[in-house]
Amino acid sequence: MKTKTNDVILQTVTNVVAFMILLFSLRIFFVGHYTPGGGFIGGLMTSGAIVLLLLAYDIKTVANILPVDYKILTAIGLLFAVGTSAGALVFDVPFLTHAYGEFNLPLLGETGLHTAVLFDTGVYLVVIGVTMTIIQTIGVSE
Amino acid sequence: MAFQILLNFFLAFVWMFLSVSFTAQSFLIGYILGLIVIFAFRRFFSTRFYLNKVTAVIRLLILFIKELIMANISVLKVVLRPKLDFRPGIFALPTELKSDWEITLLANLITLTPGTLVVDVSFDNKILYIHAIDIADSDEAIDEIKNSFEKAIMEVSR
Repeated sequence: MKTKTNDVILQTVTNVVAFMILLFSLRIFFVGHYTPGGGFIGGLMTSGAIVLLLLAYDIKTVANILPVDYKILTAIGLLFAVGTSAGALVFDVPFLTHAYGEFNLPLLGETGLHTAVLFDTGVYLVVIGVTMTIIQTIGVSE
Repeated sequence: MAFQILLNFFLAFVWMFLSVSFTAQSFLIGYILGLIVIFAFRRFFSTRFYLNKVTAVIRLLILFIKELIMANISVLKVVLRPKLDFRPGIFALPTELKSDWEITLLANLITLTPGTLVVDVSFDNKILYIHAIDIADSDEAIDEIKNSFEKAIMEVSR
């Protein structure tokens, strides 16, 4: 399958749709506390947007657009998860105890903040890192 | 086009700060006043007054919905025909549209109106290859439809 085709339609639609998928994945990530969603499905959907870019363009182009080493991203995500869990030990409570509270933020007004969001960020980054590492490793090996 | 919309938003924000009421209502009032100002000074801009383009987009949408309904009815007639006497075929449509998004929009409009389907685009973006379900009686009619779509898209992008 080394035939060259003109991918103008696929690429133009991808340029628009990838942003919509990214926005929707962020939405899914942030509403995970009260409605279906969360870090795992948000991360999968974000990597889905990157995979769509990979399908429309090629690996080199996407690596230029997003100069991210996904293995390091996985490590950062694990650090987020472990750090949020270990932060509980500082306050002399058991491991993985989460804290939360109501804060009055300048723009958003009365907002409930919970450290589980940070743990979920770790999950999100790990899922993106692992998925993209798998796909890119399969993609470059002939 | 984009610059005029940005300027209009900026004028609406200026109006909000001038009237010291940061509500959606004052933003809307400022937007309408800014629209009037931009319309009065429309000859300053290199592009057209942007409401013309907005109406062109709406016209394209109405044309598309009309074509979708009509073409679906015609495909229904083809499907319910007792004898399969239609002749499918692929023909080339030379297009005058230039940019990527215009080509994509035209191709998607052609594909979404049943009976025709874009198979491929040539490398120089000048020819669309279209598969038609019944090429015998509708070659000229399809060309007319494409001309109407192409004209409407040119109205938007001009």
